[in-house]
Amino acid sequence: MAKLVEIIGITHNPFLPRLIKAPNPDPVVVKTAQDYEGMRQRMAKARPDVLIVVASDHLNQWFMDNMPAFLVGKAPYTEGPVPSEIRAFGLAPYRAKVDTDVAKGIIVEGSRLGVDFAFSDECTMDHAFTVPLGFVRPEMDLPIVPIWTNVLAEPLPTSRRFYTVGQKLREMIEALPGGTRVGVLSSGHLAVEVGGPKSSNYSSDTEFDRRMMELISAGDGEAVVKEATYERLIKAGNVTPGFLNYVLLMGLAGGAKPDATGLDFPKITAAMHYMVWDVDAGGAQ
Amino acid sequence: MIKINRYQVNKVLREINQNPESFKAYKENAAAFLAKKNLSSEEREAIAKVDFVSLYAAGAHPFILNAFVNRVWEGDRQKLDTEFRSKIAPFGYPDFST
Repeated sequence: MAKLVEIIGITHNPFLPRLIKAPNPDPVVVKTAQDYEGMRQRMAKARPDVLIVVASDHLNQWFMDNMPAFLVGKAPYTEGPVPSEIRAFGLAPYRAKVDTDVAKGIIVEGSRLGVDFAFSDECTMDHAFTVPLGFVRPEMDLPIVPIWTNVLAEPLPTSRRFYTVGQKLREMIEALPGGTRVGVLSSGHLAVEVGGPKSSNYSSDTEFDRRMMELISAGDGEAVVKEATYERLIKAGNVTPGFLNYVLLMGLAGGAKPDATGLDFPKITAAMHYMVWDVDAGGAQ
Repeated sequence: MIKINRYQVNKVLREINQNPESFKAYKENAAAFLAKKNLSSEEREAIAKVDFVSLYAAGAHPFILNAFVNRVWEGDRQKLDTEFRSKIAPFGYPDFST
């Protein structure tokens, strides 16, 4: 039986790598870089054999001609980000081998447990994968299993569905053969608006950010599921549903409180944050 | 106020954002490029003129529209964000679903 050893959720803000390297970086961004170095160390300490990475696609690869709600990548390799993002954000490339046995195991167990994943044998990661991987596993030495979520093309899966898929993903991981140690990394964001009237270089709803991080810190999955309705997410900012990946993590953690969380507001971009469950170190069981 | 087929408009904006050859073709001769697409004359005109107000109001996906405007804009970029926000504000949050 495989073992879930670590769960980490951090932002995939595509501006962050460049903001950190800026000549006079915002002090909050400097702190975030330190926090994320801590996330790298925690994941390394958990000694995962494979990383399942749960993130979204910004209509770069999947589109409304064929839109998957949840999709497992099982190509032998995957890389990213897409050329348009390298051009727009100056992001570094990330390339990883995919653990196709684990990927197929997740798909098969998922079906047994009521989660019918779409799958892909040819997939490209966008910044939602490469940014968190660049922080948490810059060595690019671990195989991954990418899982894509639809958070941008309506109609979306509900917050309840994200939570349930997280719960079921735990069962899928534990049903995998062998003693594989599995780390889960997810990326999302708190309130953010892109291409809408509230677009700015700051959080579009600090009240939402504080409330959700408070509930996550308390391990209160039921309250998050209840409050993170589509309407509330959109009110917080027109692309805020990227938050739903964190709801999936709460389900994966089985209602346990995270071992650590953080929330900070830089003056130049959306809120910085993290959540981590050191599952194998006596955290969520 | 125009009506658009959101799926077809998003598809063409996304192609211009992603594909350097399509971007070049659009920039060289937008009318010729758009004539080959499954779009109405109103949709072609709005995309050719980068009429982001009409496209936003009609429900083009804001994430794709934002990337498109940033990709093709030739005016003062410092002013673009402010102008974009203030001009679309009266339309609030139209239905973006396809």
